[in-house]
Amino acid sequence: MANYAEKKGLLMADQLKVMMFTWEFPPRIIGGISPHVYYLSRNLAVKGVKVYVVTCDFPGAPDHEVVDGVEVYRIDSYKNPSPDFASWVYLMNMNMQKEAAAIVKRLGGVDVFHAHDWLVATATIGLKHVFRRPLVATIHSTEIGRRSGLHSDYERMIHETEAWLTYEAWKVICCSNYMLSHVKWTFGLPEDKLVMIPNGVDVKEYEKNDIDLNQFRKRFALPEEKVVLFVGRLVYEKGVHILVNAIPKILEKVNAKFVIVGNGYMKGTLSEHIKRMGFAHKVLFTGFVDNETLRNIQKCADVCVVPSLFEPFGIVALEAMAAKTPVIVSDTGGLSEIVEHDFTGVKVYPGDPDSLAWGVLRVLLDDAYANRLRENAYRVVLERFNWEKISQQTRNVYELVLNEYSQAFWA
Amino acid sequence: MVLFNWKGNNQGLRAFHVVGGKMRVILFSWEYPPRVVGKLASYVKELALQLAKNGVETFLVTYHDYLAGEFEEEGVKAFRVTNPVKTHISVLTWVLTLNQEVERVAANIYYRSGGRVDVVDVQDWHFIPAAVTLKKAFNVPIIYSVESLEDHRSHGANTPFNMAIKSIEWLGMYEAERVVVKSEWMAGEVLRIYQVPETKVRVVKPEKESWLKTLLGIYGELCRKEGSTYG
Repeated sequence: MANYAEKKGLLMADQLKVMMFTWEFPPRIIGGISPHVYYLSRNLAVKGVKVYVVTCDFPGAPDHEVVDGVEVYRIDSYKNPSPDFASWVYLMNMNMQKEAAAIVKRLGGVDVFHAHDWLVATATIGLKHVFRRPLVATIHSTEIGRRSGLHSDYERMIHETEAWLTYEAWKVICCSNYMLSHVKWTFGLPEDKLVMIPNGVDVKEYEKNDIDLNQFRKRFALPEEKVVLFVGRLVYEKGVHILVNAIPKILEKVNAKFVIVGNGYMKGTLSEHIKRMGFAHKVLFTGFVDNETLRNIQKCADVCVVPSLFEPFGIVALEAMAAKTPVIVSDTGGLSEIVEHDFTGVKVYPGDPDSLAWGVLRVLLDDAYANRLRENAYRVVLERFNWEKISQQTRNVYELVLNEYSQAFWA
Repeated sequence: MVLFNWKGNNQGLRAFHVVGGKMRVILFSWEYPPRVVGKLASYVKELALQLAKNGVETFLVTYHDYLAGEFEEEGVKAFRVTNPVKTHISVLTWVLTLNQEVERVAANIYYRSGGRVDVVDVQDWHFIPAAVTLKKAFNVPIIYSVESLEDHRSHGANTPFNMAIKSIEWLGMYEAERVVVKSEWMAGEVLRIYQVPETKVRVVKPEKESWLKTLLGIYGELCRKEGSTYG
């Protein structure tokens, strides 16, 4: 630690300064990166790291604020008209980069830049060179994984941008061993560039007891119905259509209500399909819900289903485990590592509605089994997936990088 | 022919005095020989050569598909970068990824020169994002030299694609210390389309014999000197 500080005559006399870039940060929540950066940054702050988060703006949220010791800067991200999503991302990065450059100059420098996904790639790559400070990248997901291959120039462009980010990064962090080997294979990275640090969940979020859950549950299901919960974007890779196709098999054996939380391009097709199957009264699309509502739904669900076809990590499974709800996951990606079959949850074959129905029924028809899964899962969450531990591991990466940096010409 | 003696006292050239030696200028252009797309390439080439001849330490950052690297060309230090992202959906995305390489090279010039660049002169809109970031990070004054505007290139087209390019041109107009145009007509267009403060706009007509002198005068106004904003 002292090593690089001495050699580089460092800015940070006593405090490690990290500038983190993310396209989403609460209250702007689109996917899993937002909560990830929220918990990571505040726990790093607890560990004495000075964290600056640079992110997109959100209606009502201030341009600059301090949240739990983390300094958050929100930049004007809808300034430029854009023909498509990727162009919007690059233009947003242009604005993000120039704002961040001014902030870094004003602060007198930072020690490390930390990027989350390709959505902030161009902003951070430029800043790395302009300020000659090391760049750490967390790859949460890949284009080739999200789309099961690259089918257009648009997708190839994003893929190449991701590759470029991993090339420029000093270290690449992935949230699961599955993702680590996927990223290593996809971008041809050397082994020693990659670090696995899992995602985490804050169990305290599930300990609040401020509402009557029985009353709350009635908003979603009849008392005699079991609640089968899906949380996620309604897109192909999340496999929500697998759950929909499993509905008839499940309803043969138990009376259940399927609660589907989230939005996505598949919503219209799915609800049309469900209507034609004759199960419109058995499925509830809630759309996007706020954090508190989500926590409560997770707590009163009888089973939580994660039928993803591609899943770098699978934070919703972890959240369900923290909420003490039994989980059924498809045996793929990060989910395979989070859940141990028959011990902390049930694993089923990915893309197989019959297998999924089997798993759901197994839990719903055997209370003793379900309770065993709940207890084991909760214990594992406390031991392996707590943010305190994760932020320490992340801090170790920063220090390792800075030590190497101190011995290099620069990068 | 040497037009100016930088330490000279004739022709009111005191303004060009630069603390610590020669004036150091970086030109950004998306075309420069041997890569010629339009008329801009030959103008920038002539500009770079004349600057170098007249005692300006001249750096040129441009793009080339495969001739990437550093070149010493008739006194001009030319840097050619290529795009790390090969597949693109439009010239817009192509430009926005290429800018990081321009920043990397320009930052290398900056650090190698002991942290002093006097002016960044960006030709047309392509490398405005890089120029703006360098201004924010290093406090280097930037000049936006206008060859053409999106409004004229795609006349009447207001698709999001055209608007995005216009928004980058606007950023350049807003952030630049000086907007240099090549005709009175263009000066009027810049005022009409982007409402740039008139005091920022300068006309340098390349066909006039005194063009270089005029341009050097503009550079000189921005150079670090005692009491300057920059330094």
